[in-house]
Amino acid sequence: MMLARVADSLYWIGRYIERAEHVSRLAAVMLNAALDVGAGAAQTSRIALAAVGAHDAGRADHAYEAARDLSLDREEAGSVVACLAMARENARQVRDQITTETWEQLNMLHLRVNGRAQEEAFDDDPAGFLQGIIADLHLFKGAVDSTLSHGEGWRFLLIGVYLERAQLIARLLEACFSDRKSPPVIEPIALMSLLRMACALEPYLRVYTADINPRFILEFLLFDEDFPRSIRFCTARIQALLEQLSHQAGAGRSDALRLAGRLDARLKYADVEEVEASGAGTLLAAVAGECAQIHEAIYETFVAYPLELSLPG
Amino acid sequence: MGDVLPLTQAAYLPGVAYDEMFAPGGGVRPHYELLQDRIASLGAEELGERQRTLERSFLLQGITFTVYGAETATERIIPTDLFPRIIPAEEWAKIEAGLTQRLRALNMFLADIYGDQRVLMDGVAPREMVLGAASYRREMQHLYVPHNAYANVCGSDLIRAEDGGFVVLEDNLRVPSGVSYMLANRDASRRTFPGVFRQAGVRPVERYPDLLLSTLKSMAGELRSDPQVVVLTPGVYNSAYYEHAYLARLMGVPLVEGRDLAVHDNRVYMRTTAGLRRVDVIYRRVDDDFIDPLTFRRDSSLGAAGLFNAYRAGNVIICNAPGTGVADDKAVYAYVPDIIRYYLAEEPILANVETFLCREPSQLSHVLANLDKVVVKAVGASGGYGMLVGPHASKAERAAFADALKANPDNYIAQPTIQLSTAPCLVDARIEPRHVDLRPFILSGEKVVVTPGALTRVALRRGSLVVNSSQGGGSKDTWVLTEATARP
Repeated sequence: MMLARVADSLYWIGRYIERAEHVSRLAAVMLNAALDVGAGAAQTSRIALAAVGAHDAGRADHAYEAARDLSLDREEAGSVVACLAMARENARQVRDQITTETWEQLNMLHLRVNGRAQEEAFDDDPAGFLQGIIADLHLFKGAVDSTLSHGEGWRFLLIGVYLERAQLIARLLEACFSDRKSPPVIEPIALMSLLRMACALEPYLRVYTADINPRFILEFLLFDEDFPRSIRFCTARIQALLEQLSHQAGAGRSDALRLAGRLDARLKYADVEEVEASGAGTLLAAVAGECAQIHEAIYETFVAYPLELSLPG
Repeated sequence: MGDVLPLTQAAYLPGVAYDEMFAPGGGVRPHYELLQDRIASLGAEELGERQRTLERSFLLQGITFTVYGAETATERIIPTDLFPRIIPAEEWAKIEAGLTQRLRALNMFLADIYGDQRVLMDGVAPREMVLGAASYRREMQHLYVPHNAYANVCGSDLIRAEDGGFVVLEDNLRVPSGVSYMLANRDASRRTFPGVFRQAGVRPVERYPDLLLSTLKSMAGELRSDPQVVVLTPGVYNSAYYEHAYLARLMGVPLVEGRDLAVHDNRVYMRTTAGLRRVDVIYRRVDDDFIDPLTFRRDSSLGAAGLFNAYRAGNVIICNAPGTGVADDKAVYAYVPDIIRYYLAEEPILANVETFLCREPSQLSHVLANLDKVVVKAVGASGGYGMLVGPHASKAERAAFADALKANPDNYIAQPTIQLSTAPCLVDARIEPRHVDLRPFILSGEKVVVTPGALTRVALRRGSLVVNSSQGGGSKDTWVLTEATARP
């Protein structure tokens, strides 16, 4: 049992740190690809920008500036610094509920990237700057895992992480394979970039060897049971966490749990032939839509429930 | 800074005020000798390094306030100084006894004011002054308060007069803050001077959170055996938010905002993930005016509608009780020594600062004639606002205050300008004397407990006598020693 507002803030910490990590990785991969010449580099920029909802083709030609904006633009709600500032603001609001170890890790990272010298630091060594953020976020998640009690608050934070991750990966795959404005990506360099953006290259290679093709990539990022950034992995975690939370809150079979179970089953029993036949777009759109519904249902069940239903008799 | 080390009085040059570290003859006071040796052996560079480490740790912990600039909001730490201020055991014993006596009397005064008002009938304090004070709450009349403990948390401000004796400058019985800085400073000074700390024998302050929790629980003894305690904060934008979160965290109780609370059928609930849960004790860090829009200020969203009625019905405890401000009113202050004598039949252990009530025509004319020598304060104000420090003010400022005094004399008191004592501080890589005060924290529930430590507030500008953090003041740790200092 915890304050509804606190649960909400913990959930949003999870979402924002996941988004910050993902966008850092998109920007890093984009910058790295921009060093090469050829179709792969251009496609990589397009994928990264489409995955964050920026479809302006002109920006893709200026990969460095685009990556810099994704990282540092405070006015842009989806930028890395903005996400970190929001995560930290939420953490400050629940400072009494999180451990000093987790708070200080996040606070330090926020102060570092929101300091005056951040732009110089980025221009000086963009790859190092972004890798530093990703590494610090891994430390934060490690501190969450090893210092917070694995109780209700921890579960809300992790649901935020997994729900955000499922949506981000779905959007990334949509940008590659079901973007109405661009043909599906088949260029090998771009496909490798895609795997890097999902932090999936090495785990993928261990399963499929260096045979990089869209079908395997879809199979891996949609359905793999063990890879922590596959959508199936995320939905399984979301369902398990919601089951524990609903039980703890005495909420029984909440809407959130029902929706999460249905999404998990959809991924569990789908297979890649089906997906190929009907196009990945249908499934990816369903994943994105249902994640949004789960988000709403969590809010209705645990945070913004009507008061009159919960008064003691 | 190299030229000021080793620290000697000649290099440090305190002013005319009493200095915490140096006796008038130039010698180091015995209880500062260990620290002085350590300062000398560390050297200038290392001291600067330790000050920076200290500031860095405050920044990481989030002990900060936000300064909004043209484009960016930057976070600044609450200024803090690495040298502890040291108080010998025998001096502390007197402070402790004096504060206990004072808070007992003030709680009895509050119980009387909100009860039969004997103190007014007996003419100890003027009726129209007490009942006319802005902080008097008619709604509290004849309400039962357990243990007559109205002010559960009190932070009184003490200063040393020129003769070295401690006197009470003001009492804070509403929502006093600063205790988290006492604890954070302690944490820091244990790391900055571990050897000196261990050798000196310093009394611990770390029990404050659990003593606060038992004080709060003792207020609900008759209501519930295991009461649900919460801390009520105005929210993350409040300048003391760090402290609210800190206390909630260390007491292990929820930190709630007004929007987390709901009142139904005169009972108070908080919205949890598992529905509404009953709340029994609210340690509120929200001013009286804002706790309940139905009873006090209607435009407030910081409290909960119906909270005060639930309190009246005895279904929830609010700490501190609403209306305690009448006992720390700056005009009532002048009567506290008489209040102590009246209720306890004892002489006050800690003296007041001489106070002129401008409501009395003879005292007003004295104040007007001596505006360049006195400090004038508005009775309802706090935090260093609405204040004139005569000797430091310009002619125009004094003239403006004179007009205000004549227009509304009831609203002002005046006190002689006291040169607060000075203590060594590291300022711009030099060790310099800065004026300090002392804010100990007293808890009062079933029992009265004085924490053996305090927040020492520092006026960071050279010569300034204003220590309030809202006016650019800083702080430092305060060591209360376990026994009479004897050097090995």
